[in-house]
Amino acid sequence: MDSTSITMEATAARAVGATKVYGSGETRVCALDGVTAEFERGRFTAIMGPSGSGKSTLMHCLAGLDTLTEGRVFIGDTDLSTLSERKLTLLRRDKVGFVFQAFNLVPTLTAIENITLPMDLAGRDPDREWLDNVIDTVGLRDRLTHRPSELSGGQQQRVAVSRALASNPEIIFADEPTGNLDSTSGAEVLDFMRHAVDELGQTIVMVTHDPVAAAHADRAVFLVDGRIVDEMADPTAELVLDEMKLLSRR
Amino acid sequence: MLKLTFRNLAANKARFVMTTFAVVLGVGFVVASFVLSDGLRSSFGDLSDEITVGTDLQVRPVSDFGEPPPLDQDLVDRIASLDGIEVVAGFVSADDNAMQPVKPDGTTISSAGPPQLTFSWVADQGLGSFALVEGTAPDEPREFAMDIDGAEANGFVVGGSYDLVTPIGVVKDATLTATTRFGSDNSTLGAVLMHVSLGEAQRLFGSPGTVDEIGIRLAPDADATAVAAAISGIIPDSGVEIVDQATLNSEQKADFNQGINIIGNVLLGFAIVSLFVSIFIIYNTFSIVLGQRVREMGLLRALGADSRQIRRTVLGEALLVGLFASLIGLIAGVGIARGLIALFEALGASLPDAPTIVALRTVILALVLGVGVTVVSSLVPARAAAGIAPIAALRDGARLGSQSSRRRSLTGAALIGVGLMFGVYGLANPPGTTLALVAVLGLAASLVFVGVSLASHMLARPVARVLGWPIAAGMGTAGRLARENASRNPRRTATTGAALMIGLSLVSTVLIIGESVKSRLGDLLETSVQADYLIVDDSEAGVTSDLAAELAATGQFSAVTGFRYDEARLSGTVSEVVAADLTSLGRLLSLDVRSGAIPSDEAGDVVLLHMDQADELGVVVGDVVPAEFATGTTIDLTVAAIFADDTVIGSPIVPNAVFDSAGSADVHQWVAAALADGMDPDLAQPLIDQIQQRYPQVSIDSAAEFQARFEASIDSALAVVNALLALAVVIALIGIANTLALSVHERTRELGLLRAVGMTRRQVRRMVRWEAALVAMFGAMLGVALGVVFGWGAVTALPVNFADTVTIPIRRITVLVVVAAGAGLLAAWLPARRAGRLDVLKAISHT
Repeated sequence: MDSTSITMEATAARAVGATKVYGSGETRVCALDGVTAEFERGRFTAIMGPSGSGKSTLMHCLAGLDTLTEGRVFIGDTDLSTLSERKLTLLRRDKVGFVFQAFNLVPTLTAIENITLPMDLAGRDPDREWLDNVIDTVGLRDRLTHRPSELSGGQQQRVAVSRALASNPEIIFADEPTGNLDSTSGAEVLDFMRHAVDELGQTIVMVTHDPVAAAHADRAVFLVDGRIVDEMADPTAELVLDEMKLLSRR
Repeated sequence: MLKLTFRNLAANKARFVMTTFAVVLGVGFVVASFVLSDGLRSSFGDLSDEITVGTDLQVRPVSDFGEPPPLDQDLVDRIASLDGIEVVAGFVSADDNAMQPVKPDGTTISSAGPPQLTFSWVADQGLGSFALVEGTAPDEPREFAMDIDGAEANGFVVGGSYDLVTPIGVVKDATLTATTRFGSDNSTLGAVLMHVSLGEAQRLFGSPGTVDEIGIRLAPDADATAVAAAISGIIPDSGVEIVDQATLNSEQKADFNQGINIIGNVLLGFAIVSLFVSIFIIYNTFSIVLGQRVREMGLLRALGADSRQIRRTVLGEALLVGLFASLIGLIAGVGIARGLIALFEALGASLPDAPTIVALRTVILALVLGVGVTVVSSLVPARAAAGIAPIAALRDGARLGSQSSRRRSLTGAALIGVGLMFGVYGLANPPGTTLALVAVLGLAASLVFVGVSLASHMLARPVARVLGWPIAAGMGTAGRLARENASRNPRRTATTGAALMIGLSLVSTVLIIGESVKSRLGDLLETSVQADYLIVDDSEAGVTSDLAAELAATGQFSAVTGFRYDEARLSGTVSEVVAADLTSLGRLLSLDVRSGAIPSDEAGDVVLLHMDQADELGVVVGDVVPAEFATGTTIDLTVAAIFADDTVIGSPIVPNAVFDSAGSADVHQWVAAALADGMDPDLAQPLIDQIQQRYPQVSIDSAAEFQARFEASIDSALAVVNALLALAVVIALIGIANTLALSVHERTRELGLLRAVGMTRRQVRRMVRWEAALVAMFGAMLGVALGVVFGWGAVTALPVNFADTVTIPIRRITVLVVVAAGAGLLAAWLPARRAGRLDVLKAISHT
């Protein structure tokens, strides 16, 4: 099997019977209850659900930030449950991109330094052409030497998305990336993510409870009480909102 | 609000343990210095009671200056014939280390440690304070006794025969006739106490027919005043005095206290330096901790707490921390005092059983200092906390307000200026007492330290960037982030570094002074000494003039002279006076004669004066200066020459004949010798070895060896001072660890982010450690810079023949900075480990 066939494989990440239990006895909480899901390469997936539904836990486990109680998760064809703490760290560094809700950037580093941080940590030179491509797409070329404190919230999130893109990872996880933004800035960030999938061929998995955000995705997966209860292709804000209302009534 | 104060402390236990530790160490050493000196003072007070209790009256020679001539031994018999006398005895005591017994292994007991003291034996235990443990008292020549501990420690046994090194040469095969006990428990402080018979003491150390003092015990019914009056009738009108037991006892206590006070004050001095360093650490901790609690404080304000209540909460916390730390410090101090006693004992000093005295004064001082230091250091943070607006509760990333950067720098600069002025004034017009000088210089240094710590935040960023460059270049991203972190909060870096700066500035000052003195000495020896050999009596008791005579008699030397020291009053001013063989002098030392000429030895009553002294006396060559000796003899000296070089001798120099007629002792403190022309030093070596064998108490050195030995002694003195200063450095390192731990806590989310995007644990640890190293290096470099300023001041203030130009030991100081950086790396070990172990998910969601 040559390398092309690996990278062309259809799923970027998948969970098989993923179960996560916190505590025991009286305080036992089952955050994930046997979730099986695949996330296709080159697609933008939204994980939706009310709070406490386990959507963040699913993302954390998929991303190697948290470990499962039972079941397995894969990034590409790497089984994360077999990896040591150090291997997991290196996998996050080299194969995974992250965008968090807030506090995405290291305050002492400039925008461009933040973008190249994972590669710098690896001691690797970034792919110049790719990096230029990313920077042009995000449209922040004139602000690259600014520190995070000199950027607006929307700009900070766009820098965070650029960082996630910069190492051309296997998959990008975004945890409520627009949660702290006003609707205009939020739309900018979402457009940029959409663009990254369409133009740059990236794979994005986004956790959100915002139907408008979910509408930017190719597919929405709905989680309730740690289980996948539904999914929707080409979601729109209205359809997602209706679905959410329906789910919260269950 | 008080409840809140307690809750806050309980919630942040670990955080305060570190803060407390700095205070505990400082207070502990203050307490230790008092407990130790109180204990020693009490037991030595008992000891001096014991020594003097048996002596009702003492007759002794007295003079305004110098060593008075001894008493005529006949006086003992004349006093014995008076009424009301039970026992009377004459005493002769040797100078410290004058007699050194040779141990069975062939070496002498080191004269660098506690002294070896020899007395004439007095059978009466009340007068003599000694009792025989085993054997019989020494009675004949070549017999001696030794205290039981000294004998046991050094392997001397009663009945054995040993060589004795004495001022008159080696006494072969002397017999140890007895072991003795001093007082009730032989508390000798490690000194070796020996006895010989009165006649032997006169032969070895004094002159026949004389005694140094006479002890008297009165008959039970005698009246002390009447007896004293009777004695004064038969003693000379001047030069002799009668003292009673109370006077002797208080003199003895004062004598002991002097030594105890020195130990106590030195410890206290270092303790105060440590406490001062603690101020910076406590200030820093409170600032950082409060900075992290801004939102909490804002919430309290929003809920209706006024700013006074907030300030009180903070000060209340400081008060509790201070109280707690002081109490622990008090206990620790008692422990440290016991530890120091154990250390002294381990080093060979047998101390009397000192009671542990924790005086009320010690307790109060510990509390006042500990609480005071803590509360004072939290005043500024408390004010800043009181200024927090209620709105801070709602704002993310609200900061603790504080003085503007500009005002802070100006205040700092002003303090540095005032401090330097104080220092310059103090050095230029030194106050009368050492204590006052130390106080003035200490105040000056403290002002400079505070000033630098205030102003240095301006330097923190650029310096951290420059110093961090190689780290950033060599350590990748972790190194670059370490550099950014060290410069992101310049005030924190500055204050943390300042704590280290204090210790290192003092250490480098000491090193610079030492190096300058050494380099000056090297220059001076090179230009001023022509002698091939310098023979120095290490016992300082003086060696017989036979040594110089024996050297001269070999005929292998072109010039030999011994140097005798005494005091004399020249035109009213008491001065040290040196006697030497003037004929040889010019070939051994270059005095740089400016007027007149060095005469031959038979020139009669002449004197060579240093130009400064000639100026003071207002005399020129040919004038006559009357010199009154302690013996009472006055000799008119004609100024024969005025010299400029005071490297080796700055005192008036007279021919030996003048000392002989004045009745000064004929012992040499040191001897200089120059080989005859064409004489091969290798051929002279057997001669030197032979002399060395006959007089083991002297060191025979070439000028270069002498210099090396002198430098080694300076180095060991420096080592002791620096070891004590290490305490301040250790406290500063704790401060670095503390700051880093707090910074790590503060940056939890950032660390979580870094870990999430792929920073390995190792990289996280490295980042934290190198930040600490940078902070430490920053502090060390500030310290060294200040040390150079202080060292320059000290060297300028020192007399020119100690040091004239500032010599900076660059290698040692570089080592110092590197070691400081290394210590910083080590200090950050735990915070770095904690940072590495942070749970990524918890860290990211940390608020």
